[in-house]
Amino acid sequence: MSAGLSQDRIKHAFLWPAFLLVLAISLFPLIYALIVSFQSVRLVPPLPPRFVGFDNYAEILQSARFWGSMRVTATITLASVALQYVLGFALALALHHNVPGASLYRVTFLLPMFLAPVGVALIARMIFHPFLGPVNDLFTTLGFGHVEFLTRAGPAIAVLVTIEVWQWTPFVTLLMLAGLQSLPHEVFEAAKVDDISPWRRFWDITFPMLLPLSVAVVFIRLVEGFKVIDTVFVLTGGGPGTATETLTLFAYNEGFKKFNLGMTSALSFTFLFVVIVFGTIYLALAQRLVRRVT
Amino acid sequence: MPHVEMEGVTKAFGAVTVIPPLDLMIDKGEFLVLVGPSGCGKTTTLRMLAGLEEVSGGTIRIGGRDVTHLRPGARDCAMVFQNYALYPHMTVRENIGYAMRVHGTPRATIAERVEEASRLLGLEPYLDRKPRMLSGGQRQRVAIGRALVRHPEVFLFDEPLSNLDAKLRVEMRTEIKLLQRRLGTTAVYVTHDQVEAMTMADRVVVMRAGVIEQAADPITLYEKPANRFVANFIGSPAMNFLSARLADGSVVTDGQVLPLAPEDAARLGPRESIVFGIRPEHMRSSEHQASLTFGAEAVEPLGPHTLVLGRLGGERVTAQVDPRFPVAAGQPCTVPVDMTQAHFFDPDTGLRL
Repeated sequence: MSAGLSQDRIKHAFLWPAFLLVLAISLFPLIYALIVSFQSVRLVPPLPPRFVGFDNYAEILQSARFWGSMRVTATITLASVALQYVLGFALALALHHNVPGASLYRVTFLLPMFLAPVGVALIARMIFHPFLGPVNDLFTTLGFGHVEFLTRAGPAIAVLVTIEVWQWTPFVTLLMLAGLQSLPHEVFEAAKVDDISPWRRFWDITFPMLLPLSVAVVFIRLVEGFKVIDTVFVLTGGGPGTATETLTLFAYNEGFKKFNLGMTSALSFTFLFVVIVFGTIYLALAQRLVRRVT
Repeated sequence: MPHVEMEGVTKAFGAVTVIPPLDLMIDKGEFLVLVGPSGCGKTTTLRMLAGLEEVSGGTIRIGGRDVTHLRPGARDCAMVFQNYALYPHMTVRENIGYAMRVHGTPRATIAERVEEASRLLGLEPYLDRKPRMLSGGQRQRVAIGRALVRHPEVFLFDEPLSNLDAKLRVEMRTEIKLLQRRLGTTAVYVTHDQVEAMTMADRVVVMRAGVIEQAADPITLYEKPANRFVANFIGSPAMNFLSARLADGSVVTDGQVLPLAPEDAARLGPRESIVFGIRPEHMRSSEHQASLTFGAEAVEPLGPHTLVLGRLGGERVTAQVDPRFPVAAGQPCTVPVDMTQAHFFDPDTGLRL
C-alpha cells in the first residue's frame, strides 16, 4: 500500500516538470497572445491595456486592407504552389529517368532551397531592378517594353510568385524524387511488356501511386506559403500601397510600425484560423480523392 | 521452324560478359524451363527475350519476326513477375483489363475476356478487390490472368512461385502447367527450383555462368546428365560422387570393389581415375547389385524412406534406405548399390563417360 503511494508520488515528479515546460514554452505565449488579442494594447503612446472584447476582430473583418492581404496571400500561395508542384514533379521525373548529367543537376537544383529567403529577395531586387536589373536589359534588347517590376501591382505579384517557385521547387523535386525511387520498378516493367506508352504509364500508374505523397507535399508547401513574409518585406515592403501586402506582413506592420499589439495578436489568430480552415478543407478534399484513386 | 529463336545472343554489363553467345530454339507450344543456380544468367536471358534488357549481340526472333531491337511492348510477349507487379491502385478487374483498355479493345470484349480468365483462375469472388486485399497465391493468379487475356505469342514467367509457400507452390505449378497445355501458348519459365523445372517442363535448359550445360526433357536430364554439374543439380538429395578407378570390370573406391554392369564394363574398360556417381535413391537391391560400406554420421527419417548421411574416405555419401533399414549414427553402414544406375564422369572435364 505504502509502496503504491510512493510510486504515485514519483509519477507526479516525472510528469509535472514536462507539463510545466510545455506550458511555459508553448502554451503560455499562445494563451498570452490570445488574451492580448482581446485587449487594446498600444506601446506608442504607452497606455494601460484595456479589455475590448471582439472589437479587434470586428475591425479586422471590416477592414479592406485585411481582405486585400488575404487575396494577395492566397494568390501568391496558390499560384506558386501549383507551379512548384508541376515543375518540381517534372524535374523529379527527369532526374529519375537519369537524363545525362543527372547527378550534377541533383545538386544544383537543390541549392536555392538552402539559401536564406532574405538573401534571395535581395538578389531578386537587383535582378528585377527597373533600371539596373538584367531582366529589363534583356526585355529591352528583345524589343519588349520596359517593365516596372516592383512598383506595379501585377508585375510585383508575378515577381514574388517567381521567387517562391525558384526557391521552393527543389523541395518538391526532392520529395517527389524520393517517392519515384520508392515505387516498385517491376510494375513499370509489366506495363512496358504490355505496351503501355510512357504517357499512359505516367497518368495511369505513376501519378495515382504518388498521389498520397503529392497531397502531403502540396499541403506542406501551402502552409509554408501562407506564411510568406521575408521576400515581400525586402522586395516590395507590401507596396505599391498595400497591393502586395500578405497577411503576415500586415500583422507585422500593425505590431512593429503602429505598435498596436492587440490588433497584431488578433491578426495572428485570424491568420491561424484561416490556415486551419484552408488546411482542413484541403485535407478533406484530398483524402476523398486519394481514397477514390488508390 | 522454331517459334522462338535466340541466335548467338550475348549480354555484357560493362566489361563483364554475363552471357557468352547463347543459342536456344523453342518450338511452338513448348513449355521450356530455364533452371540454374542464382547468377547463372537465366533471368537475364528471359529479360532479353522480353526486351527489358538490351542484348549486346546476336538475334532474337519470335514467330520468324526479328524482334532483337524492338521495344518490349512490340514483341507480343506477356510476362509474370516474381513479386506479381500488379498495379496496386487498380482492382483485380482493372488490373486484368488495363492493357486491353489502353489499346482500345471494345468494352464487351474486355469484359468477356476478364470473365473468362477469372473463371479459369478462380478469381471471380475477388474481381473488385485491390491487390493488397489478396493473398500471395491470389495475387499471382491475377498476374497470370493479366498475361492470359492478352493472348500473346509467348508467356514469360520469372520465378513466379518463389514467393509462395511450399503447399501453394505445388498447387500452382500444376495449374500453370495445365493452363499452358490447354492454351497451347509457347512458354518460357525461369526458376532456381529443380523440382519445379522437372515437373513443369517439356524441356529443361540447365544453365551455369551464362552457358547452357544441357537442354533435354526431364527424364533424360535425370537419367543421362551430360556432365557432373547437371548430375549434381538435378535430383534431390543430390547425387553422390566418389573418386574411383576401374579395374577388372569393377569400380574400386576406397579399397571397396563394386562389380560393374556388363555393358558399362565393356564400354569403359580399365581407367586409372574416374568419378563414380550414384544417386541416393539408387542405393537399393537389383540384379546387378554391389554393396558399399561407409561411416554413417547422421540418420534422417523422412517417413516413406530414411536418409543416411556419412563419409567414405574424405567424401560425403548420402543413401536413401527403407525406414526399417538397420543403421545407427556413428556406426559403419553397408548399403546395396544398383550398378545399372551408376554414372561415370571424367575427373578433369566433368563430362559424362
